[in-house]
Amino acid sequence: MPINLVRLALILLTVQGCTSVTIDEYHASQDVGITHGERVVVLGRRHSSDYETEPDLVSCIGDVLDDQNDVIEVIPERQFIDALYPWFEPRTAPMRVKDMNRLLSREDIAKTINSYNIRYIIWVDGKTETTSSSGSIGCSIGAGGAGCFGFGTWDKESDYEASVWDYQELENIGQISADASGTSYMPAIVVPIPIIAQVQKNACKAMGLQLRNFLNPQAAVVN
Amino acid sequence: MNLVTKVVLLALLSTLWGCTNNLHVKGDLPTPLISPIPQSMGVFYDDEFRNYVYTEQSEDRGKWIIDNGDAQVQLFEQVIPKLFKRVEVITSLPTAELPATTDLVIHPKVTDFQYSVPRETRFKIFEVWIKYNLTVYDAQGRLVADWIATAYGKTPTAFMQSNEEAMNAAIIVALRDLGANLSIGALRVPEIKAWLDKRPAQPSSSATPANQQARAEG
Repeated sequence: MPINLVRLALILLTVQGCTSVTIDEYHASQDVGITHGERVVVLGRRHSSDYETEPDLVSCIGDVLDDQNDVIEVIPERQFIDALYPWFEPRTAPMRVKDMNRLLSREDIAKTINSYNIRYIIWVDGKTETTSSSGSIGCSIGAGGAGCFGFGTWDKESDYEASVWDYQELENIGQISADASGTSYMPAIVVPIPIIAQVQKNACKAMGLQLRNFLNPQAAVVN
Repeated sequence: MNLVTKVVLLALLSTLWGCTNNLHVKGDLPTPLISPIPQSMGVFYDDEFRNYVYTEQSEDRGKWIIDNGDAQVQLFEQVIPKLFKRVEVITSLPTAELPATTDLVIHPKVTDFQYSVPRETRFKIFEVWIKYNLTVYDAQGRLVADWIATAYGKTPTAFMQSNEEAMNAAIIVALRDLGANLSIGALRVPEIKAWLDKRPAQPSSSATPANQQARAEG
């Protein structure tokens, strides 16, 4: 009987809440491609006053883009913005692609960006937030032992948009948006069992995969 | 006082100390990619600036003790030498009798430090605002500019991140913001700009690095 309970607990611990993800893609240009040696940088927008695009989300999208292909090489966000400090900080970062012309009028900035052989700059803007929560869990401890009882649930929503700038042509070539939502549950019968919906992680995966298709690495391999 | 009372008091004090958020700000600050202004600058860090510690006084807020002195000196030491052709750290402000060996002298002071934590707002971000008063003198100690520079930083909460780590990250972002403000804003301060324009025998071609910087700033 205790073995069955342990099995049940292990199964419940590996169960995840469901997440639904909706992806929208807009192509401003059909001329999209990347060749060996060209690189991509994924940057987070941080200018809003009430939220901040999470650095781990930006890094996760970079990892998905970089993964399972030998064409797209991603420069880590921190490495890029540190090398170009202070020109990609929240107060100074170019908001529109034509603002890049202003930055590139400085030889040292142009030289540093060119040293990375950047083809695309991808700006990610958005956030994941808990939209509602309900239920309660109470825990107590006594001479006979400790335990928790109750039930909690919460909803999370992610809303991200990625703008893809072609650095070589200095144009915005498209946008991809990812909206994800999911509900997590936490029943507690002696032990709390979290059934977590990986909303941000799923938004990241969906956005990363879509961006990878958008940049069309398969066609570039043929070239 | 017997031994048991002492142990209980010690345990109580350690519990209370555990409720205080003690933070010595640490972090990597990058070197700015800027062209130097062709003047020399002396920097005077007074003890208050070098050893700046913010202590939360409000009874209604969590107890925070934030030691930001080393980090803000580190930021100035990263940025100012890139902003001016030659930089010296000086130990007193210049006077007519004892002038500085540099063209200008800057004396930074912290005039305000504010923060918010997620418990106080509905947003899951730590925010920090720091206001600096940067007083600029000429070599004879005459006031050139009284520049108010603000720094703002925020960081989202993250899983398994302590309050101290999140606050540290927000302060480092604020210091980066101050560095950006110093690097780009120095030439925009009217009094500094007017003083620089009056300086004779400086390269004045439109291709000087400082002019390039002004163009990039828009």
